[in-house]
Amino acid sequence: MVTAMTLTGKRTKRDLFWLGLLALFAVIPLTPWFTRSTFAQHVMIQVLLYASMAQAWNILGGYCGQVSFGHSVFFGIGAYGTAMAVVKFGLIPWPGILAGAVIAAVVAVAISYPCFKLKGHYFAIATFAIVEIFNRLFMVWYWVGGALGLDYGFTQPGWKNFVWYQTKDCCFYGVLLLFILVFGIVRWIEKHRFGFYLRAVREGQDTAESLGVDSTRVKLSAMALSAFLAALCGAFFAQYNYRVDPPMVMSLDMSMKFVLITILGGLGTFYGPLLGAALLIPLQEYTRAYLGGIGGGVDLIIFGLLIIIVVVYQPKGIMGILDRVYVRFKRSREGGK
Amino acid sequence: MGKSFFGKCLLLVLAALLVVGTLSGVAVAEEKVIKIGTLFPLTGSVALAGQRCRAAVETAAEVINNAHPELKVPLAEKAGLLDGYKIVLIHADHQGKPDVAKSEAERLFDQEKVWTIIGCYNSACTKPASFVAELKQKVFMCGCSSSGALTERDFKYFFRMAPTDKTESLEFVEFIEYVNEKKNAGVKTVGLIYENTEFGKHAAEEGRMAAEAGGFKVVADVAFNPGATNLNSEVQTLKAANPDAVFGACLGGDYTLWVRTMKQMDWLPKVALNYCTGYQDPIITGQLGDDANYFMGGTGYAPEFAELMPAVAAVEEIYKAKTDPSVPFDSDSIQEAVALFIVAQAIEKSGSLDPTVVAETLYANEWESPLSMGGKVAFSPGGQNVKAMSMLTQLQGGEYKRIYPLDLADTEPVIPMVPWKDR
Repeated sequence: MVTAMTLTGKRTKRDLFWLGLLALFAVIPLTPWFTRSTFAQHVMIQVLLYASMAQAWNILGGYCGQVSFGHSVFFGIGAYGTAMAVVKFGLIPWPGILAGAVIAAVVAVAISYPCFKLKGHYFAIATFAIVEIFNRLFMVWYWVGGALGLDYGFTQPGWKNFVWYQTKDCCFYGVLLLFILVFGIVRWIEKHRFGFYLRAVREGQDTAESLGVDSTRVKLSAMALSAFLAALCGAFFAQYNYRVDPPMVMSLDMSMKFVLITILGGLGTFYGPLLGAALLIPLQEYTRAYLGGIGGGVDLIIFGLLIIIVVVYQPKGIMGILDRVYVRFKRSREGGK
Repeated sequence: MGKSFFGKCLLLVLAALLVVGTLSGVAVAEEKVIKIGTLFPLTGSVALAGQRCRAAVETAAEVINNAHPELKVPLAEKAGLLDGYKIVLIHADHQGKPDVAKSEAERLFDQEKVWTIIGCYNSACTKPASFVAELKQKVFMCGCSSSGALTERDFKYFFRMAPTDKTESLEFVEFIEYVNEKKNAGVKTVGLIYENTEFGKHAAEEGRMAAEAGGFKVVADVAFNPGATNLNSEVQTLKAANPDAVFGACLGGDYTLWVRTMKQMDWLPKVALNYCTGYQDPIITGQLGDDANYFMGGTGYAPEFAELMPAVAAVEEIYKAKTDPSVPFDSDSIQEAVALFIVAQAIEKSGSLDPTVVAETLYANEWESPLSMGGKVAFSPGGQNVKAMSMLTQLQGGEYKRIYPLDLADTEPVIPMVPWKDR
């Protein structure tokens, strides 16, 4: 649907409308006369962070059709990049952020080159194994803190050190910039030739190749870009939590979040990751906050049930539900006329 | 029409989020209460331990809030604090994840407006949560997290009740020297097995340093991922190195698996000493049955200590009613109750709810603590309880027998441990 409408050029005004809403969505929690709740701000930060992570994954898993369960590795490398700069070398985080993202992209290409020889489920299984390998490696790699991880000390808060202690406002703007960057890149890709190559590979690799698309190069490029952006998200995660250790970032649990949010929102759609994160993250945070104290995992049970309901009811995710509701609504209106 | 419809859908999502956000910011009506947050792993691999810690804090709150003249613990005689203030507990679950612990600590302070937090059991979670408290200049009371690093940060608002891994490691080595001298145990080598976490890693480092300082050779250093489903290769490594003594840092189910794997491989060291781990858990001890016997470890409390800590039994009855299945205090959970009793005493003594004043009062005084071994609590800079004691016990016939230090011992240790085939 997106492709067809993009090609017809009818999306421009609608895009502006959506972007306006997105801006509203992003700015509202900061409105001082509405709420100064740091928890609400925390939830919004998490929504934008996880939406960005899912969108980064969506480049490879959604648009290119290569389902990877290994993205927590790249996320983790990004987190370690910035944490090493700050904790180990006593630098500001920015060179670490950049270095982490570049290293993640290089590692992603090195890992995925042999893995891309596998297809479908086999590729997904291989990426599962990669998470475990990196998790164990970082657990015993004492230069990067091993199992103890890296803990931030007190530093001067501000943009230079990209850390704030007394307020979340700047954290929010920081993640908003990240969100705009990731979604902006994906929006650009959607309309660019590279985006069509990605979708061509997803729909049929052999067919795409017969039309002159170098599928290996396309997949590797998608992986590198996806890993680079995931690493930027990881860097923000480390700065936000003042700590990084292997189970926090390089775990199957974290990898599943990349995948789950995208699938829940709508795989291979531009707004899917945002919708998935907008539903899943507040649900996760608020159920834990208000039901977690009861113990026994009531929050997790409710959380799991809702995911099952959404996925069973509409495997195409929230975007699928919206499309279906819209079609019914349109038909009923037309019938009424 | 399409535009407006999708716009409405998105606005609906926005509205739902904002309503929840607004509701979460609604202030609770002013009452004469002191809100105290608890932050434990109520779900995840050590959920049972976390739930017991929560029950222990609830027990202390019940004793403080109501008049219990029959109990011989501070603040039990009258109801409440500071002329009528009641403690209200707000519970939170960090799921064993440091990032969740950090965000929940922020929520408890900012949203729930708790005065202090008690937690977090996992050292890796206590670290970021107490960092938040320090930033906000709020008191953080840590019961049982044992990583030495926690009290080496020069924090001003952080206080820990339990002994550290360093204290226990030194005691382990002292005990080995004693059995070598008095019982010709012939222990010359030490092996380490530990979960690869903040807690396990620190414990192992302290164990190694203490052992080497005592002249023992560390011949095996085996780390495993917590929640392991198989420890065959880890135990095989230990067996191959065959250390005379093993220092273990295996929590919960990992401890059970470690013991059972050693039995399966028909191997035991002469001496197996455990940090605050599954060894101390009465449920795990029950599950292991006879296999649990002859293992040793540092123990802050066990029901068998009744004669040393006579005030505990009556409080323990309240605690038992709050746990399902009903269990007595263990070394970890009792420290969380101590944490609340101590901070409540400090509030009462200072007559203030200013965190800085209360923190200064905590440092300035020695506190009565009938629920602690030794009966006293006092803090050194950094927040470590310098009166914290741990006793070495050995499980014999399913009971925790006191074996060291000698002045508190009631039983002779069985050294070497009885081989599996002879049990």
